[in-house]
Amino acid sequence: GDSWGIFTFLCAALCNLPALPALNCTEELGTSQSIQKTYDLTRYLEHQLRTLAGTYLNYLGPPFNEPDFNPPRLARAERVPSATVDLDLWRGLTDNARLAANYRAYSRLLCYLRALDGQEGTAELRHRLGHFCSSLQGLVLSIAGVMSSLGYPLPAGPAGPTTPPGTPVAPNDFLKKMDDFWLLKELQTWLWRSAKDFNRLKKKVPPAVVTLRLEARGF
Amino acid sequence: AADPAVISPQDPTLLIGSSLVATCTVSATSPLKAEDLYWTLNGRRLPPTSYTALGPTTLGVALAHLNGSKQQSGDNLVCHSRDGGILAGSCLYVGLPPEKPVNITCWSKNMKDLTCKWAPGTEGETFLHTNYTLKYKLRWYGRDNTCQEYHTAGPYSCHIPKDLALFTPYEIWVEASNRLGVAVSDVIMLDILDVVTTDPPPDVHVSRVGDLEDQLSVRWSSPPALKDFLFQAKYQIQYRVEDSSEWKVVDDVGNQTSCRLAGLRPGTVYFVQVRCNPFGIYGSKKAGIWSDWSIPTAASTPRSERGAGGCDPKGGEQNTTLRRELKQFFGWVKKHAYGCSNLGIKLYDQWRVWLQKSHKTRNQVGKEP
Repeated sequence: GDSWGIFTFLCAALCNLPALPALNCTEELGTSQSIQKTYDLTRYLEHQLRTLAGTYLNYLGPPFNEPDFNPPRLARAERVPSATVDLDLWRGLTDNARLAANYRAYSRLLCYLRALDGQEGTAELRHRLGHFCSSLQGLVLSIAGVMSSLGYPLPAGPAGPTTPPGTPVAPNDFLKKMDDFWLLKELQTWLWRSAKDFNRLKKKVPPAVVTLRLEARGF
Repeated sequence: AADPAVISPQDPTLLIGSSLVATCTVSATSPLKAEDLYWTLNGRRLPPTSYTALGPTTLGVALAHLNGSKQQSGDNLVCHSRDGGILAGSCLYVGLPPEKPVNITCWSKNMKDLTCKWAPGTEGETFLHTNYTLKYKLRWYGRDNTCQEYHTAGPYSCHIPKDLALFTPYEIWVEASNRLGVAVSDVIMLDILDVVTTDPPPDVHVSRVGDLEDQLSVRWSSPPALKDFLFQAKYQIQYRVEDSSEWKVVDDVGNQTSCRLAGLRPGTVYFVQVRCNPFGIYGSKKAGIWSDWSIPTAASTPRSERGAGGCDPKGGEQNTTLRRELKQFFGWVKKHAYGCSNLGIKLYDQWRVWLQKSHKTRNQVGKEP
Protein backbone atom coordinates (compact mmCIF):
# COMPACT_ATOMS: atom_id res chain seq x y z
CA GLY A 1 0.00 0.00 0.00
CA ASP A 2 0.97 3.59 0.56
CA SER A 3 3.55 2.72 3.17
CA TRP A 4 5.55 0.65 0.71
CA GLY A 5 5.63 3.58 -1.68
CA ILE A 6 6.86 5.96 0.97
CA PHE A 7 9.32 3.40 2.29
CA THR A 8 10.83 2.61 -1.10
CA PHE A 9 11.11 6.26 -2.01
CA LEU A 10 12.75 7.16 1.28
CA CYS A 11 15.18 4.24 0.97
CA ALA A 12 16.20 5.49 -2.45
CA ALA A 13 16.48 9.10 -1.33
CA LEU A 14 18.34 8.33 1.84
CA CYS A 15 20.87 6.03 0.21
CA ASN A 16 22.51 9.18 -1.04
CA LEU A 17 22.35 11.08 2.21
CA PRO A 18 25.41 10.17 4.25
CA ALA A 19 27.90 11.40 1.66
CA LEU A 20 26.02 14.25 0.05
CA PRO A 21 23.99 17.14 1.32
CA ALA A 22 20.34 16.22 1.28
CA LEU A 23 19.40 18.87 -1.21
CA ASN A 24 21.61 17.38 -3.91
CA CYS A 25 19.00 14.66 -4.36
CA THR A 26 17.16 14.80 -7.61
CA GLU A 27 13.92 15.00 -5.61
CA GLU A 28 14.50 18.29 -3.86
CA LEU A 29 12.46 17.95 -0.71
CA GLY A 30 12.37 21.09 1.32
CA THR A 31 13.02 20.29 4.97
CA SER A 32 9.58 21.58 5.88
CA GLN A 33 8.12 19.15 3.39
CA SER A 34 10.06 16.29 4.99
CA ILE A 35 8.75 17.32 8.36
CA GLN A 36 5.22 17.43 6.99
CA LYS A 37 5.69 13.95 5.50
CA THR A 38 6.99 12.64 8.81
CA TYR A 39 4.03 14.15 10.60
CA ASP A 40 1.67 12.55 8.10
CA LEU A 41 3.41 9.22 8.63
CA THR A 42 2.89 9.36 12.38
CA ARG A 43 -0.82 9.98 11.89
CA TYR A 44 -1.04 7.11 9.42
CA LEU A 45 0.81 4.79 11.80
CA GLU A 46 -1.44 5.83 14.64
CA HIS A 47 -4.41 4.77 12.57
CA GLN A 48 -2.75 1.49 11.57
CA LEU A 49 -1.83 0.78 15.16
CA ARG A 50 -5.43 0.90 16.27
CA THR A 51 -6.26 -2.04 14.02
CA LEU A 52 -3.05 -3.90 14.81
CA ALA A 53 -3.48 -3.48 18.55
CA GLY A 54 -7.08 -4.65 18.37
CA THR A 55 -6.07 -7.80 16.53
CA TYR A 56 -3.07 -8.46 18.74
CA LEU A 57 -4.86 -7.93 22.04
CA ASN A 58 -7.68 -10.22 20.93
CA TYR A 59 -5.03 -12.80 20.19
CA LEU A 60 -3.62 -12.40 23.71
CA GLY A 61 -7.14 -12.87 25.00
CA PRO A 62 -8.99 -11.41 28.00
CA PRO A 63 -8.12 -9.59 30.20
CA PHE A 64 -5.54 -8.08 27.80
CA ASN A 65 -8.20 -6.89 25.36
CA GLU A 66 -10.41 -5.36 28.04
CA PRO A 67 -10.57 -1.57 27.80
CA ASP A 68 -9.65 -0.86 31.42
CA PHE A 69 -6.83 -3.37 31.61
CA ASN A 70 -3.91 -1.92 33.52
CA PRO A 71 -1.30 -4.50 34.56
CA PRO A 72 1.71 -3.65 36.69
CA ARG A 73 4.65 -2.35 34.77
CA LEU A 74 7.45 -4.63 35.88
CA ALA A 75 11.09 -3.60 35.81
CA ARG A 76 11.55 -5.79 32.75
CA ALA A 77 9.17 -3.61 30.75
CA GLU A 78 11.31 -0.52 31.34
CA ARG A 79 13.41 -1.50 28.34
CA VAL A 80 10.94 0.30 26.09
CA PRO A 81 11.76 4.03 26.02
CA SER A 82 8.91 6.00 27.53
CA ALA A 83 7.22 8.81 25.65
CA THR A 84 5.91 10.31 28.83
CA VAL A 85 7.88 13.38 29.71
CA ASP A 86 7.54 16.49 31.83
CA LEU A 87 5.77 19.26 29.88
CA ASP A 88 8.37 21.95 30.50
CA LEU A 89 11.13 19.52 29.64
CA TRP A 90 9.36 18.69 26.41
CA ARG A 91 8.83 22.34 25.52
CA GLY A 92 12.45 23.08 26.18
CA LEU A 93 13.87 20.37 23.92
CA THR A 94 16.14 21.58 21.15
CA ASP A 95 15.20 20.49 17.64
CA ASN A 96 18.13 18.10 17.67
CA ALA A 97 17.18 16.55 20.99
CA ARG A 98 13.55 16.32 19.97
CA LEU A 99 14.36 14.55 16.72
CA ALA A 100 16.97 12.31 18.36
CA ALA A 101 14.52 11.17 21.03
CA ASN A 102 12.02 10.20 18.33
CA TYR A 103 14.66 8.46 16.25
CA ARG A 104 16.00 6.42 19.17
CA ALA A 105 12.55 5.48 20.42
CA TYR A 106 11.23 4.22 17.12
CA SER A 107 14.43 2.35 16.31
CA ARG A 108 14.11 0.44 19.58
CA LEU A 109 10.37 -0.05 19.20
CA LEU A 110 10.89 -1.41 15.70
CA CYS A 111 13.39 -3.98 16.98
CA TYR A 112 11.01 -5.19 19.66
CA LEU A 113 8.08 -5.33 17.27
CA ARG A 114 10.09 -7.40 14.83
CA ALA A 115 11.02 -9.79 17.61
CA LEU A 116 7.34 -10.46 18.36
CA ASP A 117 6.78 -14.11 17.77
CA GLY A 118 6.68 -14.66 14.03
CA GLN A 119 5.45 -18.21 13.98
CA GLU A 120 2.62 -18.00 16.43
CA GLY A 121 -0.47 -15.97 15.84
CA THR A 122 -3.00 -16.09 13.07
CA ALA A 123 -2.12 -15.37 9.46
CA GLU A 124 -4.06 -12.11 9.72
CA LEU A 125 -2.01 -11.02 12.72
CA ARG A 126 1.30 -11.86 11.10
CA HIS A 127 0.25 -9.97 8.00
CA ARG A 128 -0.80 -6.84 9.93
CA LEU A 129 2.37 -6.97 11.99
CA GLY A 130 4.54 -7.23 8.90
CA HIS A 131 2.78 -4.31 7.28
CA PHE A 132 3.09 -2.20 10.40
CA CYS A 133 6.81 -2.90 10.73
CA SER A 134 7.37 -1.76 7.15
CA SER A 135 5.54 1.47 7.84
CA LEU A 136 7.44 1.98 11.09
CA GLN A 137 10.71 1.45 9.25
CA GLY A 138 9.56 4.18 6.89
CA LEU A 139 9.04 6.50 9.82
CA VAL A 140 12.54 5.85 11.19
CA LEU A 141 14.01 6.64 7.79
CA SER A 142 11.87 9.72 7.48
CA ILE A 143 13.11 11.06 10.82
CA ALA A 144 16.68 10.30 9.76
CA GLY A 145 16.04 12.30 6.61
CA VAL A 146 14.83 15.31 8.53
CA MET A 147 17.81 15.15 10.86
CA SER A 148 20.26 14.95 7.99
CA SER A 149 18.66 17.81 6.10
CA LEU A 150 18.98 19.96 9.22
CA GLY A 151 22.59 18.92 9.64
CA TYR A 152 22.16 16.89 12.80
CA PRO A 153 24.10 13.66 13.27
CA LEU A 154 22.11 10.46 13.65
CA PRO A 155 22.21 9.02 17.17
CA ALA A 156 24.42 5.95 17.34
CA GLY A 157 23.04 2.72 18.67
CA PRO A 158 20.99 -0.28 17.70
CA ALA A 159 18.87 0.55 14.68
CA GLY A 160 19.21 -2.84 13.08
CA PRO A 161 16.80 -5.71 13.00
CA THR A 162 18.39 -7.68 15.85
CA THR A 163 17.13 -7.48 19.40
CA PRO A 164 19.36 -5.12 21.38
CA PRO A 165 21.83 -7.03 23.55
CA GLY A 166 21.12 -7.24 27.23
CA THR A 167 17.37 -7.48 26.76
CA PRO A 168 16.11 -10.20 29.05
CA VAL A 169 13.66 -12.51 27.34
CA ALA A 170 10.48 -12.83 29.39
CA PRO A 171 10.85 -15.93 31.62
CA ASN A 172 7.31 -17.17 31.06
CA ASP A 173 4.50 -16.84 28.54
CA PHE A 174 2.27 -14.70 30.75
CA LEU A 175 5.01 -12.17 31.42
CA LYS A 176 5.72 -12.10 27.70
CA LYS A 177 2.07 -11.22 27.10
CA MET A 178 2.40 -8.36 29.55
CA ASP A 179 5.55 -7.14 27.78
CA ASP A 180 3.70 -7.24 24.47
CA PHE A 181 0.83 -5.28 25.98
CA TRP A 182 3.17 -2.55 27.22
CA LEU A 183 5.02 -2.46 23.91
CA LEU A 184 1.79 -1.65 22.11
CA LYS A 185 0.82 0.91 24.74
CA GLU A 186 4.17 2.67 24.47
CA LEU A 187 3.97 2.69 20.69
CA GLN A 188 0.60 4.36 20.94
CA THR A 189 1.88 6.99 23.36
CA TRP A 190 4.90 7.71 21.19
CA LEU A 191 2.78 8.21 18.08
CA TRP A 192 0.56 10.67 19.96
CA ARG A 193 3.62 12.50 21.17
CA SER A 194 5.40 12.49 17.80
CA ALA A 195 2.49 14.18 16.10
CA LYS A 196 2.96 17.04 18.55
CA ASP A 197 6.75 16.95 18.17
CA PHE A 198 6.55 17.28 14.40
CA ASN A 199 3.84 19.88 14.55
CA ARG A 200 6.16 21.94 16.69
CA LEU A 201 9.07 21.41 14.32
CA LYS A 202 6.88 22.36 11.35
CA LYS A 203 6.30 25.79 12.86
CA LYS A 204 9.98 26.30 13.56
CA VAL A 205 11.30 25.37 10.11
CA PRO A 206 9.54 27.42 7.38
CA PRO A 207 10.91 27.13 3.79
CA ALA A 208 12.71 30.48 4.07
CA VAL A 209 14.99 29.17 6.81
CA VAL A 210 16.09 26.32 4.58
CA THR A 211 17.14 28.64 1.76
CA LEU A 212 19.16 30.70 4.26
CA ARG A 213 21.02 27.61 5.38
CA LEU A 214 21.88 26.74 1.80
CA GLU A 215 23.49 30.11 1.22
CA ALA A 216 25.36 29.95 4.49
CA ARG A 217 26.98 26.72 3.34
CA GLY A 218 27.94 28.26 0.07
CA PHE A 219 25.94 25.92 -2.18
CA ALA B 1 13.27 -7.25 42.17
CA ALA B 2 11.58 -10.58 42.77
CA ASP B 3 8.19 -11.26 41.22
CA PRO B 4 5.31 -10.55 43.62
CA ALA B 5 4.04 -14.14 43.34
CA VAL B 6 4.71 -17.45 41.61
CA ILE B 7 2.12 -19.67 39.94
CA SER B 8 2.48 -23.39 39.47
CA PRO B 9 2.23 -24.97 36.99
CA GLN B 10 3.58 -22.22 34.77
CA ASP B 11 2.27 -22.39 31.19
CA PRO B 12 1.14 -26.05 31.18
CA THR B 13 -0.21 -27.96 28.20
CA LEU B 14 -3.33 -30.06 28.83
CA LEU B 15 -5.70 -32.35 26.97
CA ILE B 16 -9.32 -31.18 26.63
CA GLY B 17 -11.41 -32.46 29.51
CA SER B 18 -8.54 -32.77 31.93
CA SER B 19 -8.51 -31.17 35.36
CA LEU B 20 -5.93 -28.99 36.99
CA VAL B 21 -5.01 -27.72 40.44
CA ALA B 22 -2.99 -24.51 40.28
CA THR B 23 -1.29 -22.72 43.15
CA CYS B 24 -0.30 -19.10 43.70
CA THR B 25 2.44 -18.48 46.26
CA VAL B 26 3.04 -14.91 47.36
CA SER B 27 6.69 -13.93 47.70
CA ALA B 28 8.23 -13.84 51.18
CA THR B 29 8.76 -10.08 50.99
CA SER B 30 5.09 -9.36 50.43
CA PRO B 31 2.67 -8.60 53.29
CA LEU B 32 -0.13 -10.47 51.53
CA LYS B 33 -1.61 -13.73 52.80
CA ALA B 34 -3.58 -16.52 51.09
CA GLU B 35 -6.90 -14.97 52.12
CA ASP B 36 -5.98 -11.73 50.28
CA LEU B 37 -5.85 -13.49 46.92
CA TYR B 38 -8.33 -14.45 44.20
CA TRP B 39 -8.21 -16.05 40.76
CA THR B 40 -9.50 -15.11 37.30
CA LEU B 41 -9.53 -17.18 34.13
CA ASN B 42 -9.69 -15.19 30.88
CA GLY B 43 -10.80 -12.15 32.83
CA ARG B 44 -13.61 -13.86 34.72
CA ARG B 45 -13.42 -14.36 38.44
CA LEU B 46 -13.35 -18.00 39.57
CA PRO B 47 -15.78 -18.94 42.36
CA PRO B 48 -14.26 -19.05 45.88
CA THR B 49 -15.75 -22.55 46.29
CA SER B 50 -13.02 -23.81 43.99
CA TYR B 51 -10.26 -22.27 46.17
CA THR B 52 -8.17 -24.08 48.77
CA ALA B 53 -5.68 -22.48 51.12
CA LEU B 54 -2.59 -24.66 50.95
CA GLY B 55 -0.48 -22.66 53.33
CA PRO B 56 -0.34 -19.17 54.84
CA THR B 57 0.83 -17.62 51.59
CA THR B 58 -0.40 -20.16 49.04
CA LEU B 59 -3.86 -20.26 47.49
CA GLY B 60 -4.86 -23.19 45.28
CA VAL B 61 -7.67 -23.40 42.71
CA ALA B 62 -9.27 -26.46 41.16
CA LEU B 63 -10.28 -26.38 37.50
CA ALA B 64 -12.22 -29.38 36.22
CA HIS B 65 -13.14 -30.62 32.74
CA LEU B 66 -11.27 -27.90 30.88
CA ASN B 67 -12.61 -26.79 27.50
CA GLY B 68 -10.32 -26.05 24.58
CA SER B 69 -8.35 -22.81 24.95
CA LYS B 70 -10.30 -19.68 24.14
CA GLN B 71 -7.35 -18.32 22.16
CA GLN B 72 -4.31 -20.02 20.68
CA SER B 73 -1.98 -17.90 22.80
CA GLY B 74 -3.30 -19.78 25.83
CA ASP B 75 -5.98 -19.18 28.47
CA ASN B 76 -4.99 -16.51 30.95
CA LEU B 77 -5.10 -17.83 34.53
CA VAL B 78 -4.28 -14.92 36.82
CA CYS B 79 -3.64 -14.61 40.58
CA HIS B 80 -4.81 -11.26 41.98
CA SER B 81 -4.48 -9.41 45.23
CA ARG B 82 -7.67 -8.23 46.92
CA ASP B 83 -7.55 -4.78 45.26
CA GLY B 84 -7.50 -6.35 41.79
CA GLY B 85 -3.78 -5.97 41.13
CA ILE B 86 -2.11 -8.70 39.08
CA LEU B 87 0.46 -10.71 41.05
CA ALA B 88 1.23 -13.47 38.57
CA GLY B 89 -0.23 -15.31 35.59
CA SER B 90 0.00 -18.61 33.77
CA CYS B 91 -1.02 -19.44 30.20
CA LEU B 92 -3.00 -22.68 29.91
CA TYR B 93 -2.79 -24.49 26.59
CA VAL B 94 -5.79 -26.82 26.43
CA GLY B 95 -6.49 -28.72 23.23
CA LEU B 96 -6.11 -31.83 21.14
CA PRO B 97 -3.18 -33.38 19.34
CA PRO B 98 -3.22 -32.82 15.57
CA GLU B 99 -4.77 -35.23 13.10
CA LYS B 100 -2.84 -36.32 10.08
CA PRO B 101 -2.98 -33.88 7.19
CA VAL B 102 -4.79 -35.11 4.08
CA ASN B 103 -5.33 -34.40 0.39
CA ILE B 104 -1.81 -33.45 -0.59
CA THR B 105 -1.80 -32.10 -4.16
CA CYS B 106 1.20 -30.69 -5.97
CA TRP B 107 2.00 -28.96 -9.23
CA SER B 108 5.17 -27.88 -10.97
CA LYS B 109 5.44 -24.68 -12.96
CA ASN B 110 7.36 -25.44 -16.14
CA MET B 111 9.22 -28.27 -14.36
CA LYS B 112 11.23 -25.67 -12.46
CA ASP B 113 9.65 -25.84 -9.03
CA LEU B 114 7.05 -27.68 -6.98
CA THR B 115 4.17 -26.25 -4.96
CA CYS B 116 2.11 -28.50 -2.73
CA LYS B 117 -0.98 -27.89 -0.71
CA TRP B 118 -2.81 -30.01 1.83
CA ALA B 119 -5.73 -29.92 4.22
CA PRO B 120 -5.47 -30.18 8.01
CA GLY B 121 -6.89 -33.46 9.25
CA THR B 122 -9.12 -31.97 11.90
CA GLU B 123 -12.58 -31.02 10.81
CA GLY B 124 -12.98 -29.05 14.00
CA GLU B 125 -10.30 -27.28 15.97
CA THR B 126 -7.31 -28.44 17.92
CA PHE B 127 -7.35 -25.13 19.87
CA LEU B 128 -3.58 -25.08 19.78
CA HIS B 129 -1.26 -23.56 17.24
CA THR B 130 -0.31 -26.28 14.78
CA ASN B 131 2.90 -26.20 12.80
CA TYR B 132 3.07 -27.94 9.44
CA THR B 133 6.24 -29.18 7.81
CA LEU B 134 6.33 -30.51 4.28
CA LYS B 135 9.01 -33.08 3.63
CA TYR B 136 10.14 -34.76 0.46
CA LYS B 137 12.73 -37.19 -0.75
CA LEU B 138 13.62 -38.94 -3.96
CA ARG B 139 12.49 -42.51 -3.94
CA TRP B 140 15.50 -44.83 -3.66
CA TYR B 141 17.75 -42.03 -2.39
CA GLY B 142 18.03 -41.67 1.37
CA ARG B 143 17.93 -37.98 2.23
CA ASP B 144 14.85 -36.24 3.62
CA ASN B 145 14.43 -32.61 2.60
CA THR B 146 12.32 -29.98 4.30
CA CYS B 147 10.33 -27.39 2.41
CA GLN B 148 11.08 -23.84 3.57
CA GLU B 149 8.69 -21.41 1.85
CA TYR B 150 5.24 -21.72 3.34
CA HIS B 151 1.85 -20.09 2.65
CA THR B 152 2.62 -19.39 -1.02
CA ALA B 153 -0.72 -20.77 -2.22
CA GLY B 154 -2.95 -20.46 0.82
CA PRO B 155 -2.36 -21.22 4.51
CA TYR B 156 -1.60 -24.91 3.99
CA SER B 157 0.92 -24.80 1.21
CA CYS B 158 4.62 -24.84 0.58
CA HIS B 159 6.88 -24.02 -2.35
CA ILE B 160 10.06 -25.84 -3.33
CA PRO B 161 11.85 -23.43 -5.65
CA LYS B 162 14.76 -25.45 -7.02
CA ASP B 163 16.97 -28.53 -7.18
CA LEU B 164 14.22 -30.81 -8.38
CA ALA B 165 14.99 -33.96 -10.26
CA LEU B 166 13.02 -35.32 -13.17
CA PHE B 167 12.38 -38.95 -14.11
CA THR B 168 12.63 -40.25 -10.53
CA PRO B 169 9.52 -40.11 -8.39
CA TYR B 170 9.37 -38.10 -5.18
CA GLU B 171 7.89 -39.19 -1.89
CA ILE B 172 6.09 -36.32 -0.22
CA TRP B 173 4.43 -36.04 3.16
CA VAL B 174 3.34 -33.43 5.70
CA GLU B 175 3.97 -33.47 9.43
CA ALA B 176 1.64 -31.59 11.74
CA SER B 177 2.76 -30.83 15.26
CA ASN B 178 1.45 -28.91 18.21
CA ARG B 179 2.14 -28.90 21.94
CA LEU B 180 0.27 -32.16 22.39
CA GLY B 181 1.78 -34.26 19.67
CA VAL B 182 2.68 -34.98 16.09
CA ALA B 183 0.74 -36.47 13.20
CA VAL B 184 2.19 -37.52 9.86
CA SER B 185 0.18 -37.67 6.65
CA ASP B 186 0.26 -40.58 4.26
CA VAL B 187 3.15 -40.46 1.83
CA ILE B 188 2.26 -39.60 -1.74
CA MET B 189 4.46 -40.48 -4.63
CA LEU B 190 4.70 -38.33 -7.71
CA ASP B 191 6.76 -37.70 -10.75
CA ILE B 192 7.35 -34.03 -11.52
CA LEU B 193 6.55 -34.67 -15.17
CA ASP B 194 3.05 -35.79 -14.30
CA VAL B 195 2.07 -32.58 -12.53
CA VAL B 196 3.38 -29.94 -14.86
CA THR B 197 1.51 -26.74 -15.46
CA THR B 198 2.57 -23.69 -17.36
CA ASP B 199 1.86 -20.03 -17.89
CA PRO B 200 -1.31 -18.95 -19.63
CA PRO B 201 -0.89 -18.60 -23.41
CA PRO B 202 0.51 -15.16 -24.21
CA ASP B 203 -0.51 -12.75 -26.98
CA VAL B 204 -4.20 -13.61 -27.01
CA HIS B 205 -5.85 -11.60 -29.79
CA VAL B 206 -9.54 -11.57 -30.51
CA SER B 207 -10.71 -9.98 -33.73
CA ARG B 208 -13.72 -9.79 -35.95
CA VAL B 209 -14.04 -11.99 -38.97
CA GLY B 210 -14.68 -9.41 -41.66
CA ASP B 211 -18.26 -8.24 -41.26
CA LEU B 212 -19.56 -11.55 -39.98
CA GLU B 213 -21.74 -10.54 -37.10
CA ASP B 214 -21.81 -13.84 -35.25
CA GLN B 215 -18.13 -14.72 -35.26
CA LEU B 216 -14.88 -13.77 -33.64
CA SER B 217 -11.43 -15.12 -34.37
CA VAL B 218 -9.15 -15.97 -31.43
CA ARG B 219 -5.41 -16.31 -31.84
CA TRP B 220 -2.65 -16.92 -29.27
CA SER B 221 0.91 -18.13 -28.85
CA SER B 222 2.04 -21.27 -27.13
CA PRO B 223 3.62 -20.62 -23.72
CA PRO B 224 7.28 -19.82 -24.34
CA ALA B 225 8.65 -21.52 -21.21
CA LEU B 226 7.89 -24.96 -22.56
CA LYS B 227 8.71 -24.37 -26.20
CA ASP B 228 11.87 -26.45 -25.98
CA PHE B 229 10.14 -29.48 -24.58
CA LEU B 230 8.30 -32.03 -26.59
CA PHE B 231 4.69 -31.91 -25.71
CA GLN B 232 1.35 -31.71 -27.33
CA ALA B 233 -0.36 -28.78 -25.75
CA LYS B 234 -4.07 -28.81 -25.24
CA TYR B 235 -5.96 -25.55 -25.15
CA GLN B 236 -9.30 -24.47 -23.85
CA ILE B 237 -11.16 -21.28 -24.55
CA GLN B 238 -13.84 -19.71 -22.47
CA TYR B 239 -15.88 -16.69 -23.37
CA ARG B 240 -18.81 -14.70 -22.06
CA VAL B 241 -20.98 -11.77 -22.96
CA GLU B 242 -19.95 -8.53 -21.30
CA ASP B 243 -22.83 -8.33 -18.85
CA SER B 244 -23.10 -11.98 -17.99
CA SER B 245 -21.11 -14.01 -15.48
CA GLU B 246 -21.72 -17.27 -17.28
CA TRP B 247 -18.69 -18.53 -19.18
CA LYS B 248 -19.00 -20.81 -22.17
CA VAL B 249 -16.18 -23.29 -22.62
CA VAL B 250 -14.78 -24.53 -25.90
CA ASP B 251 -13.17 -27.85 -25.14
CA ASP B 252 -12.14 -29.37 -28.40
CA VAL B 253 -9.58 -26.81 -29.48
CA GLY B 254 -6.80 -29.40 -29.72
CA ASN B 255 -3.30 -28.07 -30.11
CA GLN B 256 -3.80 -25.30 -32.65
CA THR B 257 -3.14 -21.74 -31.66
CA SER B 258 -6.23 -20.25 -33.24
CA CYS B 259 -9.93 -20.80 -33.15
CA ARG B 260 -13.06 -19.31 -34.63
CA LEU B 261 -16.00 -18.69 -32.33
CA ALA B 262 -19.33 -18.74 -34.10
CA GLY B 263 -22.97 -18.48 -33.24
CA LEU B 264 -22.36 -15.29 -31.32
CA ARG B 265 -24.72 -12.43 -30.77
CA PRO B 266 -24.21 -9.50 -33.14
CA GLY B 267 -23.19 -6.12 -31.80
CA THR B 268 -22.09 -7.57 -28.49
CA VAL B 269 -18.92 -7.26 -26.48
CA TYR B 270 -17.34 -10.59 -25.56
CA PHE B 271 -14.58 -11.42 -23.08
CA VAL B 272 -12.35 -14.31 -24.09
CA GLN B 273 -9.74 -16.29 -22.15
CA VAL B 274 -7.44 -19.13 -23.14
CA ARG B 275 -5.57 -21.68 -21.07
CA CYS B 276 -3.07 -24.39 -21.76
CA ASN B 277 -2.41 -27.94 -20.57
CA PRO B 278 1.09 -29.32 -21.29
CA PHE B 279 -0.29 -32.72 -22.08
CA GLY B 280 2.08 -35.64 -22.44
CA ILE B 281 5.26 -33.78 -21.62
CA TYR B 282 8.36 -35.91 -22.21
CA GLY B 283 6.12 -38.80 -23.03
CA SER B 284 4.22 -38.67 -19.77
CA LYS B 285 1.00 -40.59 -20.19
CA LYS B 286 -0.89 -38.33 -17.90
CA ALA B 287 -2.56 -35.05 -18.63
CA GLY B 288 -0.74 -32.11 -17.13
CA ILE B 289 -2.40 -29.44 -15.08
CA TRP B 290 -4.30 -26.61 -16.72
CA SER B 291 -2.63 -23.21 -16.53
CA ASP B 292 -4.45 -20.19 -15.24
CA TRP B 293 -6.70 -18.48 -17.72
CA SER B 294 -5.10 -15.69 -19.72
CA ILE B 295 -6.14 -12.16 -18.85
CA PRO B 296 -9.51 -11.60 -20.53
CA THR B 297 -9.37 -10.04 -23.98
CA ALA B 298 -12.37 -8.16 -25.23
CA ALA B 299 -13.79 -7.75 -28.70
CA SER B 300 -17.17 -7.00 -30.16
CA THR B 301 -19.13 -8.54 -32.96
CA PRO B 302 -20.34 -6.22 -35.68
CA ARG B 303 -23.82 -4.79 -35.27
CA SER B 304 -26.49 -6.67 -37.23
CA GLU B 305 -27.96 -5.02 -40.34
CA ARG B 306 -31.71 -5.14 -40.86
CA GLY B 307 -32.95 -6.32 -44.26
CA ALA B 308 -31.66 -9.83 -44.61
CA GLY B 309 -32.92 -10.01 -48.15
CA GLY B 310 -30.26 -7.61 -49.19
CA CYS B 311 -27.51 -9.12 -47.10
CA ASP B 312 -24.76 -10.79 -48.95
CA PRO B 313 -21.85 -12.23 -47.04
CA LYS B 314 -19.48 -9.31 -47.09
CA GLY B 315 -15.80 -8.99 -46.55
CA GLY B 316 -13.02 -10.78 -48.27
CA GLU B 317 -12.05 -13.16 -45.54
CA GLN B 318 -10.79 -16.69 -45.99
CA ASN B 319 -12.58 -19.03 -48.27
CA THR B 320 -14.00 -21.26 -45.64
CA THR B 321 -16.86 -23.67 -45.56
CA LEU B 322 -18.54 -21.08 -43.36
CA ARG B 323 -18.76 -18.64 -46.20
CA ARG B 324 -20.45 -21.21 -48.32
CA GLU B 325 -22.86 -22.03 -45.59
CA LEU B 326 -23.77 -18.41 -45.07
CA LYS B 327 -24.53 -18.15 -48.75
CA GLN B 328 -26.77 -21.14 -48.35
CA PHE B 329 -28.50 -19.55 -45.41
CA PHE B 330 -29.33 -16.35 -47.16
CA GLY B 331 -30.58 -18.26 -50.14
CA TRP B 332 -32.79 -20.26 -47.82
CA VAL B 333 -33.99 -17.10 -46.13
CA LYS B 334 -34.89 -15.52 -49.42
CA LYS B 335 -37.00 -18.54 -50.16
CA HIS B 336 -38.71 -18.75 -46.79
CA ALA B 337 -39.01 -15.19 -45.64
CA TYR B 338 -41.06 -12.34 -46.96
CA GLY B 339 -39.25 -9.35 -45.62
CA CYS B 340 -36.87 -10.39 -42.89
CA SER B 341 -37.40 -7.88 -40.10
CA ASN B 342 -39.56 -10.03 -37.83
CA LEU B 343 -38.27 -13.41 -38.81
CA GLY B 344 -34.57 -12.74 -38.84
CA ILE B 345 -33.52 -14.21 -35.49
CA LYS B 346 -35.97 -17.09 -35.45
CA LEU B 347 -34.99 -18.16 -38.89
CA TYR B 348 -31.37 -17.90 -38.03
CA ASP B 349 -31.91 -20.18 -35.06
CA GLN B 350 -33.75 -22.71 -37.15
CA TRP B 351 -31.04 -22.67 -39.72
CA ARG B 352 -28.35 -23.15 -37.14
CA VAL B 353 -30.08 -26.15 -35.66
CA TRP B 354 -30.23 -27.62 -39.13
CA LEU B 355 -26.59 -26.78 -39.70
CA GLN B 356 -25.52 -28.44 -36.47
CA LYS B 357 -27.38 -31.55 -37.33
CA SER B 358 -26.04 -31.77 -40.85
CA HIS B 359 -22.35 -31.47 -40.09
CA LYS B 360 -20.21 -30.84 -37.06
CA THR B 361 -17.60 -28.45 -38.30
CA ARG B 362 -14.49 -28.00 -36.24
CA ASN B 363 -13.95 -24.66 -34.51
CA GLN B 364 -17.60 -23.86 -34.35
CA VAL B 365 -19.78 -23.35 -31.37
CA GLY B 366 -23.40 -24.17 -31.95
CA LYS B 367 -25.50 -22.38 -29.43
CA GLU B 368 -26.19 -18.73 -29.26
CA PRO B 369 -25.54 -17.29 -25.82
